[in-house]
Amino acid sequence: MNQVERMMERPKLYYNIDGVGELGMGFMLLCFALLQWLQINSPAGAIWHRVYVLFLWIGVMGVVIHYGSEAIKKHITYPRTGFVEYSKRYTVWHPAVIAFCTSALVATGIAFVARSHWETGRSHWVLTTPAGLIGLVVVVAYGYGIARSVRWKWAVAGVMAICSVAIALLPEGAIGSMTGSTSDFGAISSASIGAWLLIIMLYGAILLISGGISFLLYIHRTQPAAETAE
Amino acid sequence: MNLKTRKLAELDRVIHEPGRLMIVALLSAVEQADFLYLQHETEMNKGTLSSHLSKLEDAGYIEVTKTYRGKIPQTLLRLTAEGRQAFTQYRRRMKEAL
Repeated sequence: MNQVERMMERPKLYYNIDGVGELGMGFMLLCFALLQWLQINSPAGAIWHRVYVLFLWIGVMGVVIHYGSEAIKKHITYPRTGFVEYSKRYTVWHPAVIAFCTSALVATGIAFVARSHWETGRSHWVLTTPAGLIGLVVVVAYGYGIARSVRWKWAVAGVMAICSVAIALLPEGAIGSMTGSTSDFGAISSASIGAWLLIIMLYGAILLISGGISFLLYIHRTQPAAETAE
Repeated sequence: MNLKTRKLAELDRVIHEPGRLMIVALLSAVEQADFLYLQHETEMNKGTLSSHLSKLEDAGYIEVTKTYRGKIPQTLLRLTAEGRQAFTQYRRRMKEAL
């Protein structure tokens, strides 16, 4: 029966057969990193700090990811290894649950960091560890969702885990210097902001590279199916 | 005949065949998929896959729709409500028998 269960898992893993899932996630993280970098390096009254810009940014990013993925699937993946239409459970509910859990994690991390700012005698690890821990949660999710279907992706998960730990251990000054001196983030310290920026930048770049390699390998290994009747 | 043997004897023969079991398991996890996808996942040749699909269609477990993707013919396959129910029942009986 285990083989049947495994077979039922295959369509879910098929989504990232061409690396599109990772390319989308990597692009999203790098977009968020760019927005955060723009916020850090602009005065408090700049447009990048407005809430509507954040929503606009997310909207444009979502459109690019959605239509970009769809174009790759339609013109490259479906003619080579076939078309799959997922049920609403996978396309709506699962992403909604994942988005909710991710938001809850990020909010918890920010709340934890903000609280630590007011505590006297706070340690460096208190400021950077939440980012590292959330990074490790992402690594576990990556391992379950992607790496279990492709063996070499475990190396990617390993690199991501090492990055999380390294960021948590970096000296406060080094991380804080990433945010410059013009930033104004209220209760949140520059070391915490730096840790977040570093982790989403690194994860975004790693996922983009890993997705790109998967995409190239997929193109290399597969050919468009012949135009014959089935 | 003991209870476990009886359970095994009651298994749906249409689904129990390994090739068809693979097809039904794959289709149970999606809304619909095309012939090429099933061929890629099951690694069966066109003839064998077509033969299994015909048997599943005759049993009323799958719905076959012939369409076109641009100028290329495309065969879309979907598990019917009856097929889904039969697969759920098959899994339950198999678990009980093992």
